Parts: sequence; structure tokens; C-alpha cells
Amino acid sequence: MNPDMSKQEKRKKLLPVLVLLVLTLLLPVFLNEYPLMLCCTIFYYIIAVSGLDILFGYSGQISLGHAAFYAIGAYGSALLHNHLHLPIFVTMIIAACIATGVGALLAVPASKLVFHFLSLSTIAFGEIVYQLLVHSPGNITGDFKGINSTQMAFCGQPFSYRNYFFFALLMVIIFLLAKFFLVNSKTGRAFTAIRENSHAANGMGINVRRYKVMAFATSAFYMAFAGAMYMHLVGYVHPDTFQKKQSVLFLTMLLFGGTGTMFGPIIGVISVELLIESLRSLQEFQGFVYGILLLIVIVALPGGLYGGLRDIYAYCKRKLGKGDSGSEVSKNAENG
Amino acid sequence: MLKTDKVTIKFGGLTAVNEVSVHIKPNQITGLIGPNGAGKTTFFNCISGVYTPNSGKVMFQGKEIQGSKPYQINKLGITRTYQNINLFRKMTVQENVLVGMHSRLKSNYLTDMFHIPSQQREEKEAYAKAYEWLKFVGLEPYAKDQTGSLSYGKQRLLEIVRGLASDPKLILLDEPAAGMNSQEKLELDELLQRILKLGVTILMVEHDMKLVMNVCHEIYVLAEGKLLAHGTPEEVQNNPDVITAYLGGE
Ligand SMILES: Nc1ncnc2c1ncn2[C@@H]1O[C@H](COP(=O)(O)OP(=O)(O)OP(=O)(O)O)[C@@H](O)[C@H]1O
Ligand SMILES: [Mg+2]
Repeated sequence: MNPDMSKQEKRKKLLPVLVLLVLTLLLPVFLNEYPLMLCCTIFYYIIAVSGLDILFGYSGQISLGHAAFYAIGAYGSALLHNHLHLPIFVTMIIAACIATGVGALLAVPASKLVFHFLSLSTIAFGEIVYQLLVHSPGNITGDFKGINSTQMAFCGQPFSYRNYFFFALLMVIIFLLAKFFLVNSKTGRAFTAIRENSHAANGMGINVRRYKVMAFATSAFYMAFAGAMYMHLVGYVHPDTFQKKQSVLFLTMLLFGGTGTMFGPIIGVISVELLIESLRSLQEFQGFVYGILLLIVIVALPGGLYGGLRDIYAYCKRKLGKGDSGSEVSKNAENG
Repeated sequence: MLKTDKVTIKFGGLTAVNEVSVHIKPNQITGLIGPNGAGKTTFFNCISGVYTPNSGKVMFQGKEIQGSKPYQINKLGITRTYQNINLFRKMTVQENVLVGMHSRLKSNYLTDMFHIPSQQREEKEAYAKAYEWLKFVGLEPYAKDQTGSLSYGKQRLLEIVRGLASDPKLILLDEPAAGMNSQEKLELDELLQRILKLGVTILMVEHDMKLVMNVCHEIYVLAEGKLLAHGTPEEVQNNPDVITAYLGGE
């Protein structure tokens, strides 16, 4: 969205978002406990995957270890809450800030690395964090047993899934709005410029390493906050959730939905999560499913599901002969 | 404006730039010519911070800048274009110019994320300014198009204007006319004059001799990494060394 867009154009772009929001707000009327919990899962996954998109989709850096930040958020918030008895929302934010710091520290050396070395070092980072979870000093993380914490509550009343639904939705709105502002700004342009041509970005006055670190730290914040939301939704986490396959799940959702866009991660999370949910009985084939989804994207849908839908939409519009092609030129077009 | 003092850079056994000293005077167009592989692009890379010279100094407005990073040199007021076009292909034409303005925009990570009013105002002004820059080279009809879709000649113009958007004092143009048709070359000639009028000094590498001899006030000739000759277009054209090494070779 450009600042020099007319009011009318802005309204036209805003309308579908508002319709979507109203429909989402109506969901709790129709859904019972289990699907509501699924919605909550989808919400914090949207935050996580949108964060990953800032890193991968916009700034073009890969991470195969982001489950580590998800873990830092979940365990960090639980530990802070259990030991210091701070309010849950506060511990969520503190945990996310800790993850941001860790992300920045990791990114300073990692931002020097090219793509494949970066992916290797992030795998190693994910592995290290996992090992720390299962062999923690003083057993504070509960090692292989996992850790309990309190579910979110309001005035002593624990949240029902219905309450949590609205809380999570509010968080999604805030995080997506922040992403929207960020990617449509000087900072976001710097991210995209680095993805497109880091050599030229440097020549045009962008401190490439600094912006790479920023993108990494931002995505760590999103991931960790999502992890903390997960923790306080279910009240219990197990270290196995934070293995490599979780990082792969996030990436699959992102790639399947479409990178470098606002809607891609949303569509990716919903479609992949619903697919996994409907294949629950075939749990041992999960890795297989991710593999197939990734293959579909790589071979047939380079822009992900969202990119594909947009192409179809543009095609129909052209076929209907409206001749109004220039208006929706994909500014954050799918990237390869 | 810009001075280099015996700048040398070696790649393994090859000395790509060998003790090259130049003095670029303000408010004029200086040409840098030489046969293929003479080291012209490498010399540009030494000035713009892509490479750090093995020895020698690069002075910009009295300050030594060798060893600085490209983004720091851009902030100091030197910008450039690239021989093999380096645009941000999946960004719009206007966004490319906005990236060019990067070092002149004051917003930062937090003001961007929270979208505070001063950031909004700055963005609005930046978009308007970028549009003005596009008008400067006649690319405003393509403002919202994806950059990869532009023709070769137009991409060269966009690179120039992306560089200008940082309000530089010096612009380095690496073969701006390459890939342009004769009409576009004529317009380039006129564009270079308008860039000078903005108060921007030009250092240009170019193989099109007609253009070089037409527009340049002063010319340096490189051959095999060494400075071969230097002078006005007439002096250079009549220099026997240049004729044998360069003009004669064509
Ligand atoms: N990064 C590098 N590593 C090794 N050798 C290099 C590198 N960059 C340039 N060279 C070599 O340095 C020499 C000068 O190259 P350069 O690109 O500067 O020439 P040029 O004058 O710009 O030529 P052209 O007119 O073809 O653009 C060439 O022999 C080239 O092969
Ligand atoms: Mg060259």
C-alpha cells in the first residue's frame, strides 16, 4: 500500500480484509470447543509463519532452526511465570524479547554467511537449543518430560477456548499490522532490496548486515511470542514439539501459502493445518505430507497457493475483458 | 572532488589496477576509457568500496575513503550504476528509486513498525519525490510496473535515477549507453547535461567514443591496469599511445 494511493483504492483493498475479519469474529458462534482450539492453533501459527516470512520472504535469508525461538518463547514464558509469578502476558513479551536478543546474537555472525551455510548454521542452532531443553542445567525445563505452566486467565478465571480465541485473534491483528507497516516502509524496502540484490543494496546505502540482523531478530520475536501463546493455551509443552520437524512445518506452511506477502502465510497455515488435522490418523506420514506439499510448490506453484490464486484472479479479470490490468501489479510478487 | 593516489589492486597474479592516480574535478564530466579488461570497472569498485585497494589512497572531498564499505561511501555522497544492471527486479520502478533514497530518509525500525505520523509524512513525501525523480528521466509512466519488465535502455535510466535519488555529489556511471539504441543515446547526452546542472559531478566509463568525445570535459585512458594518458578529448584522440593501444586496435 503506497501513501500516494487514492482513498478509493485504499478502501478497495481494505474491504476484503474487513469482511474476513467479521467472518472470523462470527466463528465462535458456530464452533464448539475442539474446532475453536484448532482456530487458536491457527492463530499463533499465523504469527509464527508471518515472522518467518519477514526473514525468508522479504529479506531472503533462510532459517531451518526457527523452532528454537518457538521453544524459547514457550519455555521462557513458562519459567518466568512459574518462578517469578509475573502475569502471563508480561512473561510472553519478556520471553519474546529474550528470543529477539538471542536471534540478534546468532544473526551477527550468521548474516555474513551465504544461503546454504546459513541454513546449516540455523539447523545447528535448532539442535543446540533442543539439546539444552532435554539436558537442562538443574532440570529446570523438565528435560524429556516437558514442563507445565498455567493457562491464561482473567481475574482468576482460566480462559476458555472461546476467550482464548478472541485474545489470539487480537494478537494476530496486532502482529500482522506491525508486519504490514514494517514491510511497507524504508526498513521493509531495505529487506526486499537485500533479497533482490544485496550487492546493489549495499551500494545504495543500505547497511546489509545490520538489516539482516534486524530481520532475523524480528522473526525471532514473532516466533517466540507464538511459542508463548502455545504454551499458555495448552498449559503444557513437551520438548519433542521443538524438533527440526517443527521448523520444517513452519517453512512448509510459508512456502505452500506463498512468501513475501501478507496473505500467503495466512493461507499457508490454514491449508496445511487443516490438511494435517484431517490426516491425523496417518501421523507417521507427516514428514511425507510436508515433502509432497513442498514438491507441489517447487514444481507447480512457485508463488505458493496465494500466488496461484492471484494469478487465476488476474487471468479471469483479463478474460472478462475489463482491461484494468495495471491496478493490481503484484508489488510483493512471489519470489523464487 | 575525488582524488586517487596510486591505487593498486591485485587478483592473485593479475594486477587489475596498477598505481592509478586521477583527479576528478567538480561540476564536469570526466570520462574513463580503455580496452576491454583494462580495469575500469575494477577501478570503480575501488572507489565505491566494493574492493579495498591493496595499496594507494582514495580521497573524497579531502577525506580518505579506501576501506570504507559501499553503504558508507554512498552516505558520503558517491553513488554509482553498474555495467551489468543491478536493479531490484521484483520491486516496482518507483520502489527502486525509493531504495536509492534510503540514506536520506530519517525513519528507523521502530518508527517504521509503529507507523508514527512523522514516518507517514516522510513516506508520503518520499513517494512524491521518487515520482519526481522518475519524471526527470521520463520513466514516470512505469512507476508501478515491476522493474524486471522494463526494456534494457530504460533499466539503465532507472539505475541512473536510483543513484541520483541519494542526492550524491559524484555519480559513477559504468557504461550507461550500453544496450541503448541511437535515440536513447541522444537523450542520454542531454540527460548528462541536466545531471550536471543539478550540481552532480560525473565520472563515466563508456565504450561509445562518439558520446565520450562529445560530452566529456576530461578523459583518462586505462590500458592493462595502468594509466596510459589523460587530457581533453582532443589531446587524448591525438595521443599516439592511445591510438596504438586503443583506438588503433578497433
Ligand atoms: N573479482 C575479480 N577476480 C579476479 N579477476 C578479476 C575480478 N574482477 C576483475 N578481474 C579481472 O581484472 C581485469 C579488469 O577487469 P575489469 O572488469 O575492471 O575491466 P573493464 O575495463 O571494466 O573491462 P570492460 O570494458 O570489458 O568492462 C580483467 O582481466 C578481469 O578478468
Ligand atoms: Mg567494465
